[in-house]
Amino acid sequence: MHILLIEPDRLEARAYVTVLERAGHTVAHTTMAQSAVHLADERMPDVVVLELQLPGHNGVEFLYEFRSYPEWQDVPVLLHTFVPPRELTQTPILQTELGVQRMLYKPATTLVDLCSAVQAVMLATS
Amino acid sequence: MRQVGDGTRLNSQERLFLSLAEQLTRPLLTVSHLSELAVADDPAALAHWQTVRAIADSSLQLVEGYTLSLRVHGKVTPLNLEPITISALLYDTAELLAPFARQYGVDVELDTGPRAQPVLADRAVLQAAFGSLGQVFVTAQAESEERLPVRLSAHRSRHGVVAGLYCSSTQLGVDSLRRARAIQGQARQPLQHLVGGPAAGVFVADSLLQTLAAHLHVARYHNLTGLAATLQPSQQLHLV
Repeated sequence: MHILLIEPDRLEARAYVTVLERAGHTVAHTTMAQSAVHLADERMPDVVVLELQLPGHNGVEFLYEFRSYPEWQDVPVLLHTFVPPRELTQTPILQTELGVQRMLYKPATTLVDLCSAVQAVMLATS
Repeated sequence: MRQVGDGTRLNSQERLFLSLAEQLTRPLLTVSHLSELAVADDPAALAHWQTVRAIADSSLQLVEGYTLSLRVHGKVTPLNLEPITISALLYDTAELLAPFARQYGVDVELDTGPRAQPVLADRAVLQAAFGSLGQVFVTAQAESEERLPVRLSAHRSRHGVVAGLYCSSTQLGVDSLRRARAIQGQARQPLQHLVGGPAAGVFVADSLLQTLAAHLHVARYHNLTGLAATLQPSQQLHLV
């Protein structure tokens, strides 16, 4: 499976790319929302793993643009973010309109948890 | 109290501490994740990497507890009160605490009794509070000669469900906690006879419990003394 990883911290991204590639996926990584759209166009991801707190345009802005293209409306998106989960649940639009499948709180998520969540999202949408 | 422009009730100093704490979670998380990878990659140094990971994770939990406390106090994050099975929550806390305790050769025990009543609380707040407190107790036992197990326990009392951590029959008294409150925020940590370090976990736990209108108090149970909080039973779930 092709995964688009949008993660601003390069050290963290290195760990995520390693563990996801070991799980058999191909991973395209970018640190910013703008380049993520171009990368998505090149790689046609099966799943997007997204941090909301990005430099420049934030993750929500990325999602609005991403979902505006017909070919990406059904691509599952998994939030993996430092934003606390109970603050995310106050923003139901993420799930109702922007199609976020799963939310993971980074400080409480191990690499194994991340892999399992990606796998579960893929199974749920396949 | 001065509002800081985003509708929260944090003053400028609290805003600074919140920002600092949130910043600190990032390198700690990176250390935790890279050591998680190294555990698989470097079997020759497995024990060292497990130690690195356990220490990073426990530090992360402590900073997260502090952050949660500030966020809830400052109304950045709402409280999520719900009926909670206290025995399950203490079990989860013990599971989180175990890797840290293992590094110090301290056992973690669970004693919730057969019928610990559900309580009305915020799960994340309660777990962070007991987790922070547990780190102090584990450290204390690691520094003591006896090296007694740390016990997470809950039992019913006239005033509610008393849940907390216990570790000693003699070292903890009401005076120590009274002194703790007197010097909180002004001097070094108050439980010097238990643990020599800063023991920030006690303050974090107390601060978190205050968001639930509870606070830490010295408690005695089964010939052990410890620090506990009295929580209100959930009548709703009790009826079910």
